[in-house]
Amino acid sequence: MSSGASDYRSKTFRLGRRAALAAGGAALAMPFVSRAGFAADAVNVGVVQPLSGANAQFGINSRNAIEMVAEEINAAGGIKSLGGARINLIVADSTSTPTTAATVAQRMISQQSVVAVLGAFASSLSLAISEVTERRGIPLLTMSFTDQLTERGFKNVFQIVSKGSVLGRAQVEDSVALARENGEEVRKIAILYEDTAYGTSQAEGLRAAAKGLGLEIAVDEGYPHGITDVTPLVNKLRISGAQLVFPVSYLNDSILIVRTMRQQGVTIPTVGGAAGYVIPDFVQALGDLADGVLSIAPANYDQAPEYTERFRKRFGYFMVHEAIEHAALMGCLVGALEAAKSKDPAAVREALLATTFDSGWATVMTGGTVKFDATGHNANAFPVMVQWQKRELATVFPAKVAKAKAVWPKRG
Amino acid sequence: MTEAVASPRAAALRPGRAVLIAAVLAVALAVPLGLDPQGYPIRVLTLTLLFAAMGQAWNIVGGLANQISLGHAGFFGIGAYASTILLRDFGLSPWLGMLAGMALAALAAAALAVPTFRLKGHYFALVTLAFGEVMRVIANSWSSVTGGPVGLSVPFAPDSLWMFQFGAARPYYYICLGALVAVTLVFWRIKAGALGYRLRAIKENADAAEVIGVDTFRAKLQAGLISATLTAGLGTVYAQFSYFFDPDTIFGVATISVRMALIAIVGGVGLTFGPIVGAFFIIPVEEFANAALAGRAAGLSAFVYGAVLIAVILLKPEGLLALFAALGKRWRERRR
Repeated sequence: MSSGASDYRSKTFRLGRRAALAAGGAALAMPFVSRAGFAADAVNVGVVQPLSGANAQFGINSRNAIEMVAEEINAAGGIKSLGGARINLIVADSTSTPTTAATVAQRMISQQSVVAVLGAFASSLSLAISEVTERRGIPLLTMSFTDQLTERGFKNVFQIVSKGSVLGRAQVEDSVALARENGEEVRKIAILYEDTAYGTSQAEGLRAAAKGLGLEIAVDEGYPHGITDVTPLVNKLRISGAQLVFPVSYLNDSILIVRTMRQQGVTIPTVGGAAGYVIPDFVQALGDLADGVLSIAPANYDQAPEYTERFRKRFGYFMVHEAIEHAALMGCLVGALEAAKSKDPAAVREALLATTFDSGWATVMTGGTVKFDATGHNANAFPVMVQWQKRELATVFPAKVAKAKAVWPKRG
Repeated sequence: MTEAVASPRAAALRPGRAVLIAAVLAVALAVPLGLDPQGYPIRVLTLTLLFAAMGQAWNIVGGLANQISLGHAGFFGIGAYASTILLRDFGLSPWLGMLAGMALAALAAAALAVPTFRLKGHYFALVTLAFGEVMRVIANSWSSVTGGPVGLSVPFAPDSLWMFQFGAARPYYYICLGALVAVTLVFWRIKAGALGYRLRAIKENADAAEVIGVDTFRAKLQAGLISATLTAGLGTVYAQFSYFFDPDTIFGVATISVRMALIAIVGGVGLTFGPIVGAFFIIPVEEFANAALAGRAAGLSAFVYGAVLIAVILLKPEGLLALFAALGKRWRERRR
């Protein structure tokens, strides 16, 4: 295709371009060189969260918690085994796109030499990031639920919460056990779900759990996401004889369902699956009508109020579960850095696996301490059942960690 | 519209242009040698090359025949899912899986062509949009095969060309560069060949083309099949590069379908180098906006990215290549 002359010309051109590129690259790198000099002692920690898009609120909650813990650590003298090194957070927006999340993680690994990455709320984002961190040997600390995260044989993923399948099973099993504590033997349940990917997959998990307990599913109804009138659904519920209802929806639909149930005097205990059920918006929308609504949760703020109230004081709302979990992850990372006495990601990974984290922010998780097993899953975590009581979330099950007695409606 | 479209002879390689292309290719081959093989810049460059190739594949239908498809994510995802599922369940090399995905995408394109290519303009765009969405819904609901909404991970394997897996980005860079060159050659051959003339005739006036003896359905079908097949192949490359994808991303309207069209349109729709220029503008701008601004206010980076795109389209609706041509002309005139 190209003649000798063009070969010659392209070669000289290439040399010129390379020199220009090198000069340009050097110029671009300047700020990083000077910053590296300034931050010679600091430990760079990557924070990848969805700060824009559908999951933005959760990403911001998570970032708030991580920043608060980092500031507390720095104020208390930094990482002592590293000569008081400060924690320097590198925060980036994963948006809602897995590819962007992975690219952002790649950026902070290669440009800021982070010792670990914390992120990124949504399972799809965390899975995408884990593919990058695994290949670069950087620990990824996450509170995403999906079972896949720690079941692919990866060596650098640390999942602090109960897995999604465990949470799904507990949602049914714990509520049946809670009913038994309150003198009611559950035989019939109802499942209402929005016909989205989220809704149908959650409903599937609930069905499997109900089957495992030999429960009859009296109502099993999908409804269009964003439904405007749920009266027919609630009527069906009322005459079905169901003793527990599981409305699977993100936020708005479940608010509508609970409100309509209350207006029609339907008192069947309602059990949510975390997500929209355990955030301030839920109680803001429903007010006192939220009272009595149950939900499964991977962590709750009343387990360690001496820590979580600091969050409420600073940000003006209670410490939501993703904030708790990210704060605990940050606590584990600080503990691992202390134990590793090194900023080498491989050493930090070793310390994360070897240490039982039983002090500071690591203790706010359910279980009180954090110990990662060989797969990187926190073996000490277990789900809790929470209930809205007087506009606060109270842990009501299991008994060993319950902070309040469940309010159970009188049947009849 | 522009001279390149108006006179097909312009598609033939001029000597000056050949030198320029050789020089650009040489630079493209040399650049990774100076970059950290696992670093961030090479990852962005690799994604840019991949999206340039995707824009080019879209350009075959969208540019030459002016059939604006907003459903190419459908083919893209078919490629990604086909190779990954075959790898997961049968340990089949993704290169073979890529062929399977391309065949499936060709089937899907043929099935889609029957009802849609009779449609024009907005209606065609809407039906293709629906096609992509249908694929997304299927991938979300058919959990036993696709893994459902959680997404699909490419099984981890040590570095191997046969298994299409590398720890570093550098091999992917060269694969994506090769893919871009290959798709661009296909595009260029079509554009300069008989099919290109037929597609241009359809673009100018479909009825007139039919009257002078162009089998418009056949020409559009051929272009559609080639475009879909190439897109599916690139889907496999994407899956192997990112190791993980979920239905909402791989079949996404904004993430894939619209972006493919946008890259071609911003660069210069129907032009051989349009998607390349478009991708080298859009992907780095998006990255830069995210890197520089995402840590500040939420959504600011997306806002800046959108504002830049709007500015480009307002400034020169024909695309960046036309803008460069106009600037170059003005510069030459001033020098005279």
